[in-house]
Amino acid sequence: MPYYIGDVIKDEAKLTARTPAKFRESGIEVIINTKVEQVDPVGQVVRLDSGASLPYDLLALGTGTVPRMPGIPGEDMEGVFILKRLSDALRIKAYLKETACRKAIIIGAGFIAMEVCEAFVTRGIATEIIHRGKLPVNRWDPELGLMIFDELKKHDVAFTADAKPQSIERGSTYRLRLNTNHGPTEGDTILIAVGVKPDTTLAEAMGLAIGKSGAIAVNFSQQTSVENIYAAGDCCESFHRISKRWGNIPLGDIANKQGRVAGSNIGGKPKIFPGVVGAQSFRIFSLEAAATGLTESEARVYGFHPVGLITWGNASANAMPDAKKIGLKLIADAATARLIGAQAVGEAGVVSRINTLSAAMWSGLGIEEIGYIDLAYAPPFGGSWDIIHNAAQALLRKL
Amino acid sequence: MGKALVIVGAGAAGGSVAAEAKRSDPGLSVTMIEQGPHVATAA
Ligand SMILES: Cc1cc2nc3c(=O)[nH]c(=O)nc-3n(C[C@H](O)[C@H](O)[C@H](O)COP(=O)(O)OP(=O)(O)OC[C@H]3O[C@@H](n4cnc5c(N)ncnc54)[C@H](O)[C@@H]3O)c2cc1C
Ligand SMILES: Cc1cc2nc3c(=O)[nH]c(=O)nc-3n(C[C@H](O)[C@H](O)[C@H](O)COP(=O)(O)OP(=O)(O)OC[C@H]3O[C@@H](n4cnc5c(N)ncnc54)[C@H](O)[C@@H]3O)c2cc1C
Repeated sequence: MPYYIGDVIKDEAKLTARTPAKFRESGIEVIINTKVEQVDPVGQVVRLDSGASLPYDLLALGTGTVPRMPGIPGEDMEGVFILKRLSDALRIKAYLKETACRKAIIIGAGFIAMEVCEAFVTRGIATEIIHRGKLPVNRWDPELGLMIFDELKKHDVAFTADAKPQSIERGSTYRLRLNTNHGPTEGDTILIAVGVKPDTTLAEAMGLAIGKSGAIAVNFSQQTSVENIYAAGDCCESFHRISKRWGNIPLGDIANKQGRVAGSNIGGKPKIFPGVVGAQSFRIFSLEAAATGLTESEARVYGFHPVGLITWGNASANAMPDAKKIGLKLIADAATARLIGAQAVGEAGVVSRINTLSAAMWSGLGIEEIGYIDLAYAPPFGGSWDIIHNAAQALLRKL
Repeated sequence: MGKALVIVGAGAAGGSVAAEAKRSDPGLSVTMIEQGPHVATAA
């Protein structure tokens, strides 16, 4: 969707994986523009806002998330948006065109904020980020957050740290004014991107067990606390293989996998969802950012003994003419010398390194093994000692 | 008639449940209900 707003993807039809007609071809009935208002888990009936009811033998919840809102006056004004659904993306793009938007304000600095920021700037819109923390994207540690901050500066994105939005009203120079603890700022549009929370409205009303994370509790078969009711995707929890806890990580790849596992079990073919390690990535202008596993502070909360170290290196062999810098942070548990987290930022080769480390972490490799793991080497892609090897060996010396 | 599966939400998760359930048991009667106008959209 951010790439649609930035006009990188021009045709909105490309954003739909399967149309209702396609589903119907495979014998799946789809009812759109209709809300499930209530579920009776005893009588096994769902009630729709159209007044109709539908009996079921098996029920699956894929209700997703709802955006968090700052809860400030004026957040419902025209020109203030959230980006959650395709209809939001369509509305935003139409508004930008109609109003010949000159300046945008983004509240929040998570990955959605970063992607939309790039889209706005690509469209030639002056963009300002209002963030409650010090550096963008909290999941990346300060040294790497600083690289992202510098990249924003390079593209003339204004960044206000430690900012609290207070109210939105009509503007004078631009259409809207946002008042903050640092004073007012104006823009033709305001995007609110301060995170999401699982939509558990129906689940709670039905009395399904909700986990500590606030998402629907499920087992490894995606079954909820009621045997014939399943849940999958952003609305439910997943098992984190490193922390060994259930939590909520609202990401698209996880939703697809959990959905397939739930569907398979519903159809009578037993399948287990093996859990997640928290791999995630995004792009901001010419930077790739990716992370997997736990941050140092999460690791501490869970009782690990995290030792982290940032290593700087290049995406290709140092001698190559346009070698691109990468910062790679590895986090190990001092008690077991195993990898429990990794984060990286750089202009190339970042996602592939984090994916490699995700697989290593998934299978429980130790830092010493990672220091000598066999990786493909050719000068355009890395050194004979890859940054992964160098980072692991440097961290091992610290353990 | 086979069993009736009702799915709430036609996002990535709901769409995957529908497709895989039908593939695993073609006898299932599957209905997916979505409050919005779009189904199975990409992020
Ligand atoms: C405890 C925890 C652990 C997680 N662990 C993982 C994991 O291991 N792996 C994984 O893939 N995902 C994990 N996630 C989920 C991941 O953070 C989200 O999927 C992703 O960040 C959502 O992106 P977003 O842009 O919507 O929101 P966020 O990335 O949450 O961004 C929201 C931004 O808005 C800022 N903000 C919030 N409220 C305000 C406000 N009132 N005013 C101004 N700014 C505000 C926040 O500081 C933040 O920068 C975790 C989330 C949590 C809460
Ligand atoms: C801008 C943006 C960029 C993103 N980029 C990435 C990315 O790069 N990588 C990544 O991994 N993830 C990304 N994500 C996250 C990803 O989109 C979600 O994790 C994924 O869509 C979750 O799928 P889901 O089916 O669980 O929920 P959703 O897609 O939210 O679907 C839930 C559906 O349920 C419907 N619904 C809810 N309640 C009812 C009801 N009572 N009756 C009827 N219908 C109901 C909703 O209308 C909705 O359509 C991004 C998200 C956004 C917003």
